[in-house]
Amino acid sequence: MRVGFVGLGAMGRPMAMHLLQAGHALSVWARRPEAAAALVEHGACRCGTPAELAAASEVVITIVTTSRDVEDLAFGAHGLAAGFERGGIHVDMSTIAPTTARALAARYAQLGIGWVDAPVSGGEQAARAATLAIMAGARAEDLERVRPLLLALGQTLVHVGEVGAGQVAKACNQMIMVAAIQAAAEAMHLANAHGVDLARVRTALMGGSAASRVMEIIGGRMVDRDFAAGIQARLHHKDFGLVLAEAARLGVPLPIAAQVAQQLDTLMSNGWGLDDTASLLRVLERVRVGAG
Amino acid sequence: MKVGFIGLGLMGRPMALNVLNAGHEVHVWTRRAESMQPLVEAGAVACTSAAALAGVVNVAISMVADAPDVEQVALGPEGVAAGAGAGLVFVDMSTISPAAAQSIAARLAGQGIQMLDAPVSGGEIGAINATLTIMVGGDAAAFETVRPVFEAMGKTVSLIGASGAGQVAKACNQILTGVGVAAVAEALNFATRSGVDAGRVREALLGGFAYSRILENHGQRMLDRNFKPGFKAWMHQKDMRIVLEEAHRLGLALPSSAATAQMFNAMVGSGLGEDDSIAMLKLLERMSGGA
Repeated sequence: MRVGFVGLGAMGRPMAMHLLQAGHALSVWARRPEAAAALVEHGACRCGTPAELAAASEVVITIVTTSRDVEDLAFGAHGLAAGFERGGIHVDMSTIAPTTARALAARYAQLGIGWVDAPVSGGEQAARAATLAIMAGARAEDLERVRPLLLALGQTLVHVGEVGAGQVAKACNQMIMVAAIQAAAEAMHLANAHGVDLARVRTALMGGSAASRVMEIIGGRMVDRDFAAGIQARLHHKDFGLVLAEAARLGVPLPIAAQVAQQLDTLMSNGWGLDDTASLLRVLERVRVGAG
Repeated sequence: MKVGFIGLGLMGRPMALNVLNAGHEVHVWTRRAESMQPLVEAGAVACTSAAALAGVVNVAISMVADAPDVEQVALGPEGVAAGAGAGLVFVDMSTISPAAAQSIAARLAGQGIQMLDAPVSGGEIGAINATLTIMVGGDAAAFETVRPVFEAMGKTVSLIGASGAGQVAKACNQILTGVGVAAVAEALNFATRSGVDAGRVREALLGGFAYSRILENHGQRMLDRNFKPGFKAWMHQKDMRIVLEEAHRLGLALPSSAATAQMFNAMVGSGLGEDDSIAMLKLLERMSGGA
């Protein structure tokens, strides 16, 4: 299939590479040309604008940061919408607001262009291993057309529902995961205050009911005090802004998510936004135990 | 002075009347023409658009629901900027985010129009009795120009700082009143569920360190189960959303505000949005199976 790709960051680069390796004709566009260099070397075709990219592709996949980024890519000057032929499909794998996804899909529909929101979970590691969990919101016929592409990127693909439903699932994913990171950080902080060995606590817990992927991976980073790697916390901070805006719009109380968001706010103002979200432990440590 | 008034709702109507009663010439415009009727009967002049209003007054005041409304009134195709005469001061008394206020002020300044953000506290009663607290952000000279108009509507009028500072003060006000209403509702519900007369608890506490205007006024209305607005819960929800969006932007933890904002979400989602914000008590009763 002729596939376009935008967003060649830590997640997007290995994903685009998988598409090339699966035998698809790949075109790329990147704001900074050097971001595309590796893919071009492997045979991807470089385009000058998103519109050119869309004109050369049956399907364009985007994975960028904010709702605004996706809007600009789609309907900004020289945007994808200007290049797509009727029947083209925009598959957005970014994490954005469900309302934005629905609004973009509606605008595309007027032009005869399809939309799939297909955010992912699993991080950089899963992107490299092509084992991402993909949650899709789309009309069934649009999803069927892009299914082979998505299966080249991930291990599980769930059609959650209509347009926007993928982003709703992703919001749920973020709420559960980051709340679990906060819980792990608080447990580590308590163990530390008792002077108990964190590695052993974690190992003990991993055998019982509190075992979780978060405890395994992020808990491990907390034990090692390795805050550099992994998921940039600023992205979770952004996601929680989206979640709480939707909660206010819908009149849904999310007491725990609201508290986790406050910890993420503090994390940001401490300058740890580019570090892993394991830094929530450091937020707790800002208030020194036994100080005073 | 010639004063324009845009937005004649629960708050705007009595505020405009007070400006009129203070001897100013008042021009009004609202989206729904029938909203202007009471003011016109009292002697105000009805205008055909915000732009037309801006062409004949020295000060144009808006009192509307949210930032997009202010944006429309100020900068929309038939908005204030489209018709403003030389030296017009635009005064927005709505509650919107400091960032939105600054952005609108900056764009108006580009067209030579001064803007003050001047949100109020004191509710409908304060609006009727001209006892509002008015918190102003913007240029000091523009503030002095508008001061007599402010003094016709409020008792405490303060210039807090530059553009946006009035909205920051209002956000602080909403933190205190939002968390305060939640705390009073929790305390009174706690008393009731403990089998104690909540009215006597309130009376006793009024003499001590827990005294507050909210315990006094809102607490009494909770005891009377008078949930008529006042200040509607959905508006307080909106204000708490503004507060927490600013906190998100600034990297600031506001845990108590965050918890309270979720309670307001629950009120709106469960059909209490049109009640006064003291219906927080009803929400607590539902959550814990009381009353």
